[in-house]
Amino acid sequence: MSEYVLKTNQLSKQYKQQWALRQVNLAIPKGAIYGFIGQNGAGKSTMIRLAAGLAYPTSGELELFGATGGQALTEARRRIGSIIEGPALYPQMSAVDNLEAHRLLKGIPGRECVKRTLKLVGLEGTGKKKAKNFSLGMKQRLGLAIALLGDPEFLILDEPINGLDPMGVVEIRQLLMKLNREYGITILISSHILSELHLLATHFGIIHHGCLLEQLTAAELNANCQQYLHIKVDDPQRAAFVLETALSTTDYEVSPDGTIKLFQFVHTPGKVSTALVGGGLVIEQFMPMGADLEAYFTSRIGGAAHE
Amino acid sequence: MNNLIKAEWFKLRKDRSFWTLVWILTAISLLYIVDSIYDGNVQLDLLYASEMLGVNFQFMRLVPCILAGFFISGEYAAGTMKSIVSSGNSRMQVYAAKLIVFTVGAAILSILPLLLMTGGVGIYVGFADLPDAGFFFETIGLTLLYAAAFGSIMTVFATLFTESGKSIGFSLLFFMFFDELLHLLSSKFSFLEPVWNNSVFKLQYDIANVAALDGGQWTRLLAVPIITFAVFAAIGVSIFQRKEIK
Repeated sequence: MSEYVLKTNQLSKQYKQQWALRQVNLAIPKGAIYGFIGQNGAGKSTMIRLAAGLAYPTSGELELFGATGGQALTEARRRIGSIIEGPALYPQMSAVDNLEAHRLLKGIPGRECVKRTLKLVGLEGTGKKKAKNFSLGMKQRLGLAIALLGDPEFLILDEPINGLDPMGVVEIRQLLMKLNREYGITILISSHILSELHLLATHFGIIHHGCLLEQLTAAELNANCQQYLHIKVDDPQRAAFVLETALSTTDYEVSPDGTIKLFQFVHTPGKVSTALVGGGLVIEQFMPMGADLEAYFTSRIGGAAHE
Repeated sequence: MNNLIKAEWFKLRKDRSFWTLVWILTAISLLYIVDSIYDGNVQLDLLYASEMLGVNFQFMRLVPCILAGFFISGEYAAGTMKSIVSSGNSRMQVYAAKLIVFTVGAAILSILPLLLMTGGVGIYVGFADLPDAGFFFETIGLTLLYAAAFGSIMTVFATLFTESGKSIGFSLLFFMFFDELLHLLSSKFSFLEPVWNNSVFKLQYDIANVAALDGGQWTRLLAVPIITFAVFAAIGVSIFQRKEIK
């Protein structure tokens, strides 16, 4: 039994003269929530499409639940639920009929799972309303319900929180965490909302120009994100003088708005506040902060602007 | 495979374009009945052989093109083909299920006007001069067979184009003009003559003359649509196997 749900070996995909993926070695451990990060056109969707069997690799291998190639790989895909490049819905059908069509497709016995799954995503009261008349957020929820039909062991979610309102984002995050923790479902999720991914994912993969730059766990990411003290005082220039004389440090930055980022004493903030107050300064803001996933991602891809 | 066919059948029953076409064909058939009755002096068996089958040939070739556009190409446009292909069924099974259920839909649309027109006129003039039962069921059976053959060609086009509008437009033009084009080319180039003579496009017109055909002609009338269906099903599977689903 493979400890990885999805594993690739030197996986490459070429479209005409352009490489969409280059020798990618990706590994998603069983039980992980894998945040897949990259700019538009970086290769995320190509990777997901290869995993789902919608496209074929130019070279390399793809292993799903330990199965590689041919019929075994096709059958392994029965254990997957997915939303790929937006929810796949029949616009003329109601939510119940959309799920019924997919229930029949997956050969799931009994119709009770349809209502149960709709309730799980908060769409139980949509009645005969057609999917084409749903809001974007409702369509996303319905897409998620379709992906969840048949209790998949692996969820592939390409931008699943696009179009959701803030409450919807929180609900979906909590739902995904519940599915992961209580039912052990492994999740591959790509999203441009990096702050959400940071809250959700246990593992991260950063892809850029078709190359997988890095894979790391959430703990490794947090360790790599530089911590600092965010300080705002009434006189930044005097504060800088105090930091250099009383605390003997120059490892700080003063922003144009007067806030100070101090990269030392993160674990002993009392020394800093004592020195600043002792220097006659009024502290307006004082808190420990860390670079977030967005900052880390930007630093890893070389500060390239988002498309 | 059974799951796929059940799912496709469910979708066909819910397909708005299918029901719209059913209602349009019903309305056209009713108009035809009223027109026939208005003309007076109707003899049902003659009308069936001389007019109804001829009118129905056009429905059989053209109306299912619209269904193919929505029922097959529409899956690509809506993105639902992605969930079908990633559902863990082989591509051959996915294509076969789509082809089978679409063919059933096309067959329903192909015999519906024939049955309605015959039934409607029969109710008015009485069923005393109904077409001979053997002739009637042979023509119905052959209509279904040729609808399946045309359906297999439409399925290939709908798979290639993946957009409802393009698929419908191309298929309609193809089925409106290809028989004329093939006929014209076969008269200019002798090597194309056997192709024309043994094509579903020519042989469909023999359905109305089925009573006068000998054994060899009968065999050809049956074999050509079956072979056409098998060949285009194989071509379609081959295309679909290689296709990247977008």
